[in-house]
Amino acid sequence: MISRRRALQAGAGLAAAATFGAPAILHAETRTLKITTWGGKWGAIMKDTILPMFEKEHSCQVSADQAFPFLPKLQASPKNDPLYDVFHSNSNEQWSAVEQGLVMDKITVKEVPNVADVYPWAVSDKIVGVAIFTSAIGLGYRTDKGIAAPKSWKDLADPKLAGARGGYLIPVNSLGQCHLMMLGKVYGKGLQDLDAAYKALEQLKPIKLVDFTGQMEKMLLSGEVIEGVIHDSGVYRYEGANRQPVDFCSPSEGVMALEQVLNVTPGSKVKELAFAYIDFMLRPEVQKLLAEGVWYSPANKKVKLDAKYDAKLLTTPEKVATLIQPDWKWYNARKDDIDARVTKILKG
Amino acid sequence: MSAVANRKPFDAGRAAYLALNLLLLAFLLVPIAIILVFALNPTPYISFPPVGVSLRWFVKFFEGDDFMRALWLSLWIAACVLVLSIVIGGACALALARGNLPGRAFLTAFFMSPLMLPAILTGLALFQAYLLAGIGRPVWGLIMAHTLVAVPYVLRTTLAVLHNFDRRIEEAAAVLGASPARVFFEVTLPLIRPGVFAGGVFAFIVSFDQFPVSLFLVVPKGETLPVVLFNYMKFDLDGAIAAASMVSILLALAVVVVLERLIGLKAYVKL
Repeated sequence: MISRRRALQAGAGLAAAATFGAPAILHAETRTLKITTWGGKWGAIMKDTILPMFEKEHSCQVSADQAFPFLPKLQASPKNDPLYDVFHSNSNEQWSAVEQGLVMDKITVKEVPNVADVYPWAVSDKIVGVAIFTSAIGLGYRTDKGIAAPKSWKDLADPKLAGARGGYLIPVNSLGQCHLMMLGKVYGKGLQDLDAAYKALEQLKPIKLVDFTGQMEKMLLSGEVIEGVIHDSGVYRYEGANRQPVDFCSPSEGVMALEQVLNVTPGSKVKELAFAYIDFMLRPEVQKLLAEGVWYSPANKKVKLDAKYDAKLLTTPEKVATLIQPDWKWYNARKDDIDARVTKILKG
Repeated sequence: MSAVANRKPFDAGRAAYLALNLLLLAFLLVPIAIILVFALNPTPYISFPPVGVSLRWFVKFFEGDDFMRALWLSLWIAACVLVLSIVIGGACALALARGNLPGRAFLTAFFMSPLMLPAILTGLALFQAYLLAGIGRPVWGLIMAHTLVAVPYVLRTTLAVLHNFDRRIEEAAAVLGASPARVFFEVTLPLIRPGVFAGGVFAFIVSFDQFPVSLFLVVPKGETLPVVLFNYMKFDLDGAIAAASMVSILLALAVVVVLERLIGLKAYVKL
């Protein structure tokens, strides 16, 4: 027979086990989605609004890595237990990743229903995974330095801009790589005319080079650069209260696409959750929130932006038609040679 | 005697020596002055000359959750690394200097080797090792990684002190009846303390400013200050970076001052 004291002791033991065990059980049930994401304003919106929304809706936790470099970390982690479930990067890195088998090659409507509503550029043959936003790479310029608003990519070569034009360290920046391809198109036979691009690049010297787009923004703001290669978001974000004497030009030859691409790692243990996350990021209300927060053109055709954003971003088929998507597979295959050549050209 | 007779003749060598010292001081301090100017300039971008004086970037830094979390984490890690490096580096130095170990030169080179390897590779190698071992990227893993690159500093400074150590003092203590433990704590340790603590200062600063090793080992919401600053710079290159740098410099200075109070600057300078 069990004594009362024994029964009480057993009860207390069970209660204690339940109390201490409950968080562990709860933790075991809470799935964690590991993603990469940007910092800055984008990161703030994600952290404050979007990720909590997703976590609540899917009863999960999102571990968002904002610390670069994402691709080397993904490469170094085991393929069957990758460091990330969803890999967010620009298109060039997605192409490197897919060739190493680190991400899926396509995301379709079957996995992500909202893919049905995206513009063709978001799932074109130039995209691995699915693009959720794009920026337009064109020319940013100062409106208070007495220069005419640029109309063409060729305007960057204006001798008056010597030493005050801005570009990128091409080996490490995809905007710089896009600019190089655009030089091939503007001065030669097309995006892949590297000889023409190298020749045109030579003519842009002296040019101020930066690593990151954030640096280019600040150089334009400080007036150190009067005209430079930049994406529209990097200029438009200084609208309103932060108004600065800078503006953006979409050159007549077209703008290059700087896509924000999401993809799933094949070894992910929470693949369904990863697809759900991408679907969530393509929802019109989420797209609108981020598009208006950071001035990115949404991939979802159904997004209705407020008038001031709608006027400037690529939100109609006509405007989308000005977008040129680089062939990163082609570029990455030649990257080492290109890096060596452009470094030689620009090191002086 | 006239005033003219009292005047010392112009010493060109001394003047050149002073000029060189001033030049070196300027070389070391001008970058800090420039950072201070950027930190106090209110423009939303880093520019020169400054247009005014404002504390807005310091406010942004201290009000930023990410910055503060990273700052405290970096300080905590650096404090752990300081203690671990002193214990490990000090013990290694004693063993190498006193242990009559075979292959002493090889062992010394082995312990110094983390300094010879590019730190980014150390970080990448540890990242892969941790993942393969299935331990993920815990904070203690980051502390161990920082300790790995910090120990050589303590080792080198302690070995320098031990090199000139007069062992007869220890022998005298032993002859007078002190136990080996008492000899160590009351004779050896006080005498090698300047070297150990000088290395500790380096270890703290190396850890606090460590970027390449941390790059692969930090986790989301567990980034150290240099990593947070690097990522911040990619998107928002404003005065908050300069304000953060000033805070880092002042903190490093504070640590040096505290250690100076503990062990005395003169002892430190003897090295």
